[in-house]
Amino acid sequence: MSKHSKFQTALCSRPPRRSTITWAFLPLLHQAEVNASARRSTTSSSRHQSGSPPVGAHVHFEKTVKMTIKLIRDHGQHYRPRMACLKKVEALVIEMQDPKSGVKSFEQKRNATSIPHVIAGQDITAWITSHMTVDAQEAQALGTMLVAYGFIYPLQDPKTLILRPDGSLYRCQTPYFWPAQKWKAQDTDYAIYLAKRNIRKKGILDQYEQERYRKLHKWLNHKWDFIVNQAKEQTRAGKARMKSDRVVFSYQERAYWIVHRPPPQTHSAMDYGVDRLIDPNAEEEKNSYYYRRIIIFRQQAIMRSKVKSTVSLGALVKHTMTYQSHDPFLTPCLPSNPWQTDDDTYWALNMPDVDLPTKMTVERWSYGFYELLRDPRGRADFRLFLKKEFSGENLAFWEAAEELKWGAASAISEKAETIFKTFLAPGAPCWINIDGRTMGLTVKGLQHPHRHVLDAAQNHIFMLMKKDTFYRYLKSPVYKDIQKKAISPAPHNFTDAQLEQNARNRKPGLYPSVTWQRQQKEKVRTTTLIDIKKLMANKLDRQ
Amino acid sequence: MNRWRRSVGEIQARRRQVSECEQAQAALGKVIACFQQMTTCMGSNTDSSSLREELEETRTLAHRICTGLHRRLLALLVETEQGQEDREQVERLWVLFLCCLESFQQDLRRVSTLEEIFPLTQRKDRQALVNTGAVGGGPEVAARAAIVKMPWVTGDGEQRPDMRGHVLEIDGLIQEMLQRVNIPLWSVEPMQKAWAEACKDGQDEEDTLEAMMEVEVVSQANRAFGCCSHSNCRLGCIFCLLN
Repeated sequence: MSKHSKFQTALCSRPPRRSTITWAFLPLLHQAEVNASARRSTTSSSRHQSGSPPVGAHVHFEKTVKMTIKLIRDHGQHYRPRMACLKKVEALVIEMQDPKSGVKSFEQKRNATSIPHVIAGQDITAWITSHMTVDAQEAQALGTMLVAYGFIYPLQDPKTLILRPDGSLYRCQTPYFWPAQKWKAQDTDYAIYLAKRNIRKKGILDQYEQERYRKLHKWLNHKWDFIVNQAKEQTRAGKARMKSDRVVFSYQERAYWIVHRPPPQTHSAMDYGVDRLIDPNAEEEKNSYYYRRIIIFRQQAIMRSKVKSTVSLGALVKHTMTYQSHDPFLTPCLPSNPWQTDDDTYWALNMPDVDLPTKMTVERWSYGFYELLRDPRGRADFRLFLKKEFSGENLAFWEAAEELKWGAASAISEKAETIFKTFLAPGAPCWINIDGRTMGLTVKGLQHPHRHVLDAAQNHIFMLMKKDTFYRYLKSPVYKDIQKKAISPAPHNFTDAQLEQNARNRKPGLYPSVTWQRQQKEKVRTTTLIDIKKLMANKLDRQ
Repeated sequence: MNRWRRSVGEIQARRRQVSECEQAQAALGKVIACFQQMTTCMGSNTDSSSLREELEETRTLAHRICTGLHRRLLALLVETEQGQEDREQVERLWVLFLCCLESFQQDLRRVSTLEEIFPLTQRKDRQALVNTGAVGGGPEVAARAAIVKMPWVTGDGEQRPDMRGHVLEIDGLIQEMLQRVNIPLWSVEPMQKAWAEACKDGQDEEDTLEAMMEVEVVSQANRAFGCCSHSNCRLGCIFCLLN
């Protein structure tokens, strides 16, 4: 069902990349789980205590030989995408250091020692504005990017990684601690850093750092001697340096780990999504496979039906305006986004077997027939309406055809049998009313059934339902009733303490087996087809 | 009688070797820590050709310790069988050596990348160095690394490899170690407990370090945190949609 065909054609203008695993693009704005970066890195490190390794594990060798025990099924995805900008940012930072045309620095005086090379936020923004000839707002965004990636760190309020365009003080990070696309910040180093801070002063670690320390101790248990040893040695090596240098180094280290192991409830610029199979910086080799792929793509592009850009853009605008209030990126979802506040009322209210749906869901059903069918609650409602009108066979046929299309290949022939007997045979109990030509084609195709044998009939039925039954449904008392009864949850307004409590009381999710069982029960309950003949026979009998 | 005496002699010799390896392990840890401290100065305004030379020397020293330790540990592992008292210690040393090698290899990779970005061959390259606020840093740490003594005599006379060769060599070494010897990593119990490193001594000096790191927060009336002046803005970054 390509309902966005008009603007999809306008968007498919670039040939596909050869990566076999193409995930949807996760923008940096993705409101992912707050500790996603920390969790992801810790889950990929070796973490088995005394006991046997998991079945099927082997020690994994690849370019950067880490002592990790990865399961075989990681598909070789080791490249971090979307960080090619780091090279450009490095060039920018190096230009900032030019003694003649770079940013002016001054000294930070503190307790009879002075540490040089401090720069003010307004100087940075002014320099970017003049050097790259952009306006002030963009310069500030660029500056904040520099801080968020960790090339410059703030001295006051180190945990907030933004560039304040006033007198706030910043300093450049040493190149050793610059972020690189090729490697991530390692857990072992983080453990050494936490141990070093422990050595410096007992009880200085924050709550979340203590949590992480405990987890790392559990997962990196076999390396723990090494970690403590290195922490002690690095502290001793650091003591050989001058006092001001030690202060600078501790600033640098702290800034590095705030970027790469962000505190909870903060967004991290290093959050980049899934690891990739192919090095995104490597140029693709232009061999025959590559050219064949490009040729096929271009041929398909020529064959596509062309749409005027005004039309496709108009469709895009209309789509955006309709769905704007339903998009969790653009409008905060009610009652609250579970990924942000750790409160899963939103999911509970939108379960498929809930009694009363939310007003947003009900509104969404009126946008199009496919929306109604897509939402399981909407489909249940539509089924109820059809039951009242005694025309449930259309929807039942559509569902059966969907099941055939998406089900297991081994079950195709028997499903086709049942469908034919129930819906298509002359005198069948739930005979659907499609035109003769389609009926003929379908019956002929059913002799050698394949996945798409019912496509023509399914589309016909879909159009029938959409053009006729759908509008009657929208005007029916069933729909109006549920519109009135739908709940509109009030937005949550959590304080910080409540947010922390939510994070601690996070419930584990539903097991997939439980959801599967529920779905099966639902299916059994709702697909008891109304046998029209038997119904009429019953009525006649009673009379 | 002779056999008993020989085996006692053997046990003593083995114990001596194991303690030698432990000392070498401690020395290697020291050298790696010093190397790391020196690499943090690379690319900054304290970078200089003398720092690079000191890095080379430290790297050579580490290379020598690594090869010697690798050979001796391998010999010990072959000698001792499962169940003997020294075996646990040797296995522990093996795993620690592996960790050291990995960490060192990471630092070496960083150093080779930084050398590409900041080559100090021409005078104008010095303009590109990042002003980090450090003033010294190279020589003192290098001196500390240089006084590390290896417990065995180096009559080896091996060639010291260049940077890239060294990285590849360590790569090969780690792979070979993981493949040849079947010691499961999780079977090694650490001798240190959690939080054991936090102890009382040496804290008064460090209090001042922490105090020095506290810079006064610029007093701003409305903004506790947040990137814009919106009252609901809690994000500390540019990806704030409330702008």
